[in-house]
Amino acid sequence: MISLKKYAFRQFKKLETRAHELNYLFWECTTRCNLNCIHCGSDCAKDSAFKDMPLDDFLKAIDTIEDKAPNFTVVFTGGEPLLRNDLEQCGKELRKRGFRWSMVSNGHLYNRERHYSLLNAGMGALTISLDGLEASHNWMRNNSTSFQKVVNAIELAASATRLNFDVVTCVNQKNINELRQIKDLLVSKNVKAWRLFTIIPIGRAANNPDLQLSDKQFVELMDFIAEQRKAKDIDVKFSCEGYVGKYESLVRDSSFFCRAGINIGSVLIDGSISACPNIDRSFSQGNIYTDNFYEVWQKKFQPFRNRSWTKTGQCKSCREYNDCQGNGFHNWHGNKQNVLVCHHQKIEQGSV
Amino acid sequence: MKNNRIRNVLKGLSFTSAMFIFQACYGTPQDFGYDRLVEGQVTSETTGLPIKGIKVSVAGDNSYYVTTDDEGKFSFYSEKEENVLIGFEDIDGDENGAFRDLFKTVEDISESVYLEIALKDKL
Repeated sequence: MISLKKYAFRQFKKLETRAHELNYLFWECTTRCNLNCIHCGSDCAKDSAFKDMPLDDFLKAIDTIEDKAPNFTVVFTGGEPLLRNDLEQCGKELRKRGFRWSMVSNGHLYNRERHYSLLNAGMGALTISLDGLEASHNWMRNNSTSFQKVVNAIELAASATRLNFDVVTCVNQKNINELRQIKDLLVSKNVKAWRLFTIIPIGRAANNPDLQLSDKQFVELMDFIAEQRKAKDIDVKFSCEGYVGKYESLVRDSSFFCRAGINIGSVLIDGSISACPNIDRSFSQGNIYTDNFYEVWQKKFQPFRNRSWTKTGQCKSCREYNDCQGNGFHNWHGNKQNVLVCHHQKIEQGSV
Repeated sequence: MKNNRIRNVLKGLSFTSAMFIFQACYGTPQDFGYDRLVEGQVTSETTGLPIKGIKVSVAGDNSYYVTTDDEGKFSFYSEKEENVLIGFEDIDGDENGAFRDLFKTVEDISESVYLEIALKDKL
């Protein structure tokens, strides 16, 4: 028999799925990048095959949205969004239309001048990546000056009280033993929120064993987050990348619910309409250059809103399926016959 | 409305905090809307003509400033706080005329504020 809490959350998810209110939209505004990170899931490069998407093209797409949800946020992602010189103009146009906007950045170009011009243009939230202490961060970012630059960026961002700012860290073999020191560093820089990820084996990360945690290390990570959340000196959490069974209530604010295609959409660099940008591109539901964006959001996205097709491979007989529903959507790549990473299984095996 | 009530009850029963707002795993936190739009136009009290090049900033914080354009217009986002003092300063000497600085207190905390500012000539 399941608990009332679990039952209520399952029903809540069903209602949310039925309503599928779009309120979080990624815009892959560029795939150019100034770094060459070894874990990049997008395989971004300095010379992208795609030109940056013109602002007008994106605006035409989002102008089709009929019922805009309160606090609708457009999240600029890439590539590295700061490579666009018109970012401030993009932000102002969105605010004129009543949308809020935010940005995910590697922090490399985030200097004082840009910080203030982005705030002046109405940026309200920001995420910056820090992937370790100096050596391990620079190793992952493939750049000897990245750490110093990102620490400067973090100091600037943390100083702005109007900005909802957090730092994300991709936990891997090189930094798992540094987590306490990273936390101390962030607290010393006045950072209020820290999100921890693992790296899914896609893009450049697929062939690098140093980037993957063993099952035991994954359990160590869960225990670390659970312990740090009790201290309350910084809001530490595990990202919503997957279902973590017995750790669900210990490492996050809410139980696992992958909202890709339910509340989260995206406009990708080639105009494709999808959900989170790290989801297999074969799941694209349309294209802004040929389809009405909002019509696609309202009428398509069936694989996202009915996930019964994920009951295959190891998920088929899993007793946790009703709460997990095939894990994070980005874990379904290639032939989609099995989930790429099962966090729950890692915990079961790592706890032995 | 009914669906929202049911949704909130279920949210409560599943111990999902009322304050909880989701974020996509590779995205940013939600923007809570702690800023507001400050815009307007600066003109000459004597001639009524727009003044270009006036520095507009939140007083005491030199970081947040813009300058007025050819039409004397400006816009920027500022902290949403009560009694914010906005400064209008002539920083380009005589280039677009010489005007006395002015500071205006914005008392309310509405989502946006439009300011019409007339600057006196410098004596």
